[in-house]
Amino acid sequence: MTGIPATLIPTGEDSFRLEAYLGRGGYEAARTVLLTKKPQEVMEEVKKANLRGRGGAGFPAGSKWAFVPQAGDLPKYLCVNADEGEPGTFKDRVIMTRDPHLLLEGIVLASYAVGIHTAFIYIRAEYESIARRLEAAIDEAREKGFLGAGIFGSGFDLEVLVHRGAGSYICGEETALLESIEGKRGWPRLKPPFPASVGLFRRPTVINNVETIANVPLIFRYGAEWFAGRGLPRDGGTRLFGVSGAVQKPGLYELPVGTPLRTIIYDWAGGPAAGQGIKAVVPGGLSAPFLTPGELDIPMDYESLARARSMLGSAGIIVIGDRTPIIDILRIVARFYAHESCGQCTPCRIGTTWISKIADRIGAGGGAPDDLDLIRHLAQGMKGKTLCPMGDAAALPVLSIVEKFGKELGETISRGAERR
Amino acid sequence: MTFSLSAGNAKRIEELVRRYPTKEAALLPVLHILQREKGYISPEAEEWVAATLDLPPLRVREVLSFYTLLRRKPAGKYVIQVCRNISCFLAGSEDIIRHLESRLGIKAGETTADGKYTLLAVECLGNCDHAPCLMINDDDHGPVSEDTVDAILKGLP
Amino acid sequence: MISIQVDGRALQVPPGTTVLKAAEQMGIVIPRFCYHPAFEPEGSCRMCLVEIEGLPKLDLACSTVVREGMKIWTSTPKVIEARKDVLAFLLADHPLDCPICDKAGECFLQDYYDKHGRYASRFSEVKEKKRKKIPIGKGLLLDRERCVLCTRCVRFLRRVTGTGELGVFERGVKAEIGIGEGMAIRNNYSGNLVDICPVGAITDGDFRFKTRAWFLEKGRTVCPRCSRGCNIVIHAVRGYPLPGRQRRIYRIVPAENPEVNGYWICDFGRYGYHDIEDNRLTTIVLRTDGRPEEKTSDWKDVITGLAADIKKTVENGRSSRMAVVLNGYLTNEELAACRRIFVDTLGLRNIFFADPKPGEADGILLTADRAPNGRGAAALGFSPTLPEPESPPGSTDLLIVFGLHLLEHLPAEKAAAWFKQAGKTYLLAATSSVLDRAADVVLPTALPAEKKGSYTNIAGLTQSFECAVPAPRGSLPEAEILARLAAELGVELG
Repeated sequence: MTGIPATLIPTGEDSFRLEAYLGRGGYEAARTVLLTKKPQEVMEEVKKANLRGRGGAGFPAGSKWAFVPQAGDLPKYLCVNADEGEPGTFKDRVIMTRDPHLLLEGIVLASYAVGIHTAFIYIRAEYESIARRLEAAIDEAREKGFLGAGIFGSGFDLEVLVHRGAGSYICGEETALLESIEGKRGWPRLKPPFPASVGLFRRPTVINNVETIANVPLIFRYGAEWFAGRGLPRDGGTRLFGVSGAVQKPGLYELPVGTPLRTIIYDWAGGPAAGQGIKAVVPGGLSAPFLTPGELDIPMDYESLARARSMLGSAGIIVIGDRTPIIDILRIVARFYAHESCGQCTPCRIGTTWISKIADRIGAGGGAPDDLDLIRHLAQGMKGKTLCPMGDAAALPVLSIVEKFGKELGETISRGAERR
Repeated sequence: MTFSLSAGNAKRIEELVRRYPTKEAALLPVLHILQREKGYISPEAEEWVAATLDLPPLRVREVLSFYTLLRRKPAGKYVIQVCRNISCFLAGSEDIIRHLESRLGIKAGETTADGKYTLLAVECLGNCDHAPCLMINDDDHGPVSEDTVDAILKGLP
Repeated sequence: MISIQVDGRALQVPPGTTVLKAAEQMGIVIPRFCYHPAFEPEGSCRMCLVEIEGLPKLDLACSTVVREGMKIWTSTPKVIEARKDVLAFLLADHPLDCPICDKAGECFLQDYYDKHGRYASRFSEVKEKKRKKIPIGKGLLLDRERCVLCTRCVRFLRRVTGTGELGVFERGVKAEIGIGEGMAIRNNYSGNLVDICPVGAITDGDFRFKTRAWFLEKGRTVCPRCSRGCNIVIHAVRGYPLPGRQRRIYRIVPAENPEVNGYWICDFGRYGYHDIEDNRLTTIVLRTDGRPEEKTSDWKDVITGLAADIKKTVENGRSSRMAVVLNGYLTNEELAACRRIFVDTLGLRNIFFADPKPGEADGILLTADRAPNGRGAAALGFSPTLPEPESPPGSTDLLIVFGLHLLEHLPAEKAAAWFKQAGKTYLLAATSSVLDRAADVVLPTALPAEKKGSYTNIAGLTQSFECAVPAPRGSLPEAEILARLAAELGVELG
């Protein structure tokens, strides 16, 4: 399942157990760091490694940690975002299922770097069995002195709590995640202030994706240069590319940052499903604008995808075959965002449902000639104007479908009009 | 009608509340514990939670109504969640949903009269490489077909 | 001070000023739904988006703090487009209720559509249907279809009254405001919810369907129902609905005053306008022994008569045979006139005060002292002593009573009997009561809203006010009565 020597995803039925993890060299890096290095050094090393966030935004992890004010003795928090709600994304599930201790060791290192003594893993409620595996791993680690008071006999204390969500995609947005941990509705917060200064319980907080944190032990096990060298300048390491949809071999593929999309789909995932060509590809989770077959040579890195007016996001690749009417895709995309809109701000609250109603109407044969222009108008009304990034997530893929598949949608509308 | 919880869960909740800096932060975990024991969150349970966590009852209701996995009405013994997002749609989730609707005699969103099954069409479950996928209570299943779905249901205790 | 530009004009503002407040200083009102100056910025309506030079996206005026050299543009094509979009979103599911909605004429949606909208609607789906007449307490109705989810009401009840009766339930387009199960709004500030709701989602049963906002004339004054001195605006309509009727008051709303009441008034003060409307005395009543009751509007004779009665009573050092009962509703100017006449000139000692009984302070605005000018009276040297029911000592030949608050301290028959005991009694009152029958002369007065003058509130702040609504024909403010009396008595009021 992996394209390079296994680093992130181990194999073996018992790979998740502590003994197996120790057998792979687990917790050695954390022990060395906690006993011999200063927190500032850890932060610098992570910066050197060019580790970028793997939740979607791609912000350099070391820099994010550095934003947390070190002065004062307010408690600080780490929140690991295991909400994984972005359609097409399942990498964090696999990490936590097969290698929970890798995540825990990463949490130890990250917390040590920033001076954090309480970490929350915010995990979506649907991942209940994974949550239990994490809790069992935490117990294993505590027992051995890898978590809790005086880890490895150092002066560093850390408690890790697994905190389940309750069914809400928006709680994967970092400030909504904070609200949810605090026991409230998942309504995102206005920024500024940013979580690094005013976060969980109004304390300085770092929020990182599971895969981001899971990479941290590797940086200390094999070195920052090694890590940085595996990727591109300014974007180190490997990515876990999740491939699903109309492909022969859906699955998780660990590949270098910058691997071309075509390579991933054809060489690793076996190409499109039998008897079909490719109509469209989602490159980075559903919130990333759709790509056409002519755009498959794009290297899968942040800058290249941004230049193509899409995004690397969560690296969740969904291949849509050419037997699928694009109106069905539009309907499903629109319905998803309408269902998940938190309702706090005007454009997303109304716009997502409005677009969904239009898409359903077109799908049911009731489309009107100016519907596509209207959808475009509404998506533009949401883009860049909402309280949180979900407005863009709802608008950009829809815009890309209407722009790139306007001809097919127009034909769907005409056919519907003819039948009326 | 007074609300009471199993001794084990009452104790778990007590310990849980201690682990959070505010009582309010224990709300979601407490609601999960309650829902696992009682199957849903009744008005009496809401009041109990509010009193236990020093929250206005209205806040509990606000939170309950926001999250889709918190139930205010009883559900079936087996809650079947079938993913309807892109990858699963491409793999035939609509057929699976229709098949289950006809097998169980209910529409998605409903519970069978005998209280055994609740069928829900849900958004991405994060299991896309096993599409079409579904969950029955806490267990993942995928890829499923109409036949395997029948077999899974048959095999449920 | 920070130097910025708004729409090309230079401005200096203190650090920490938001773009919205800076624009306000220039006289530019940036449209908004969720922002209210009483609360921290919320940022959810997205109506206040403006363009800031150098930044790629539009930014919220309500929450963005100005920086040195910032150039703000409030009406660029992008901003105009963004405002139209927000309106289009809000109006998509908004019901076509304007013809029956009380908020018409003062509704943010209407006003903003007029000023910032004017686009052709492109919504042709089925609107979201929600419940429309939800009682939430104290006669208020919530209409969920009209609601724009600005959450001002929720925030008001959480942060100002601390009672939290309203919350936000459900999610996405189904999100709705609701009242907690089994709860009702019962606090003393419910009326403010109607004021702060930018649309007709929360309406007041007291005002519902009675008139239209554009008929209302507004008069600013000070609320007299306690010693806080909240600034209020009285909304009345002259000659409406019935011609010949001098005016009708429809409601009272707060006037903003950061020093006194901030943005709010309490319900006790707000709904007190019924006092101004009901049972008003409008003719002078004269009762002389043996003669039938006479009604007249001839103030001149009556005041001449009063002056004569006064002179007759106090000559030959018999000032102890005259008693005056004042109250804390009299303005500072009226009380000063009383002092000049009754204390300085006539040397009366039997000067009493009958004020409303103290109530419970509510911890926000309403004070325990229910008279508006107790402090003013104290500052003028009066001390509020209630008259004894068996007194005045000896017999009183001439009793002048200002106001009806005796009735709060004595049972009606006792008060009436006391009147009858005294020789000649003058009652100066605005509304009718059992005392009308008991007094020899009844002089109809104006109420505080119908006067000009000043009150000194509980914090010692003196506030002047003008006449906010015309007094009913036939009545006079006490100030006018006292001025004429002083003239008859040859007293210089100064």
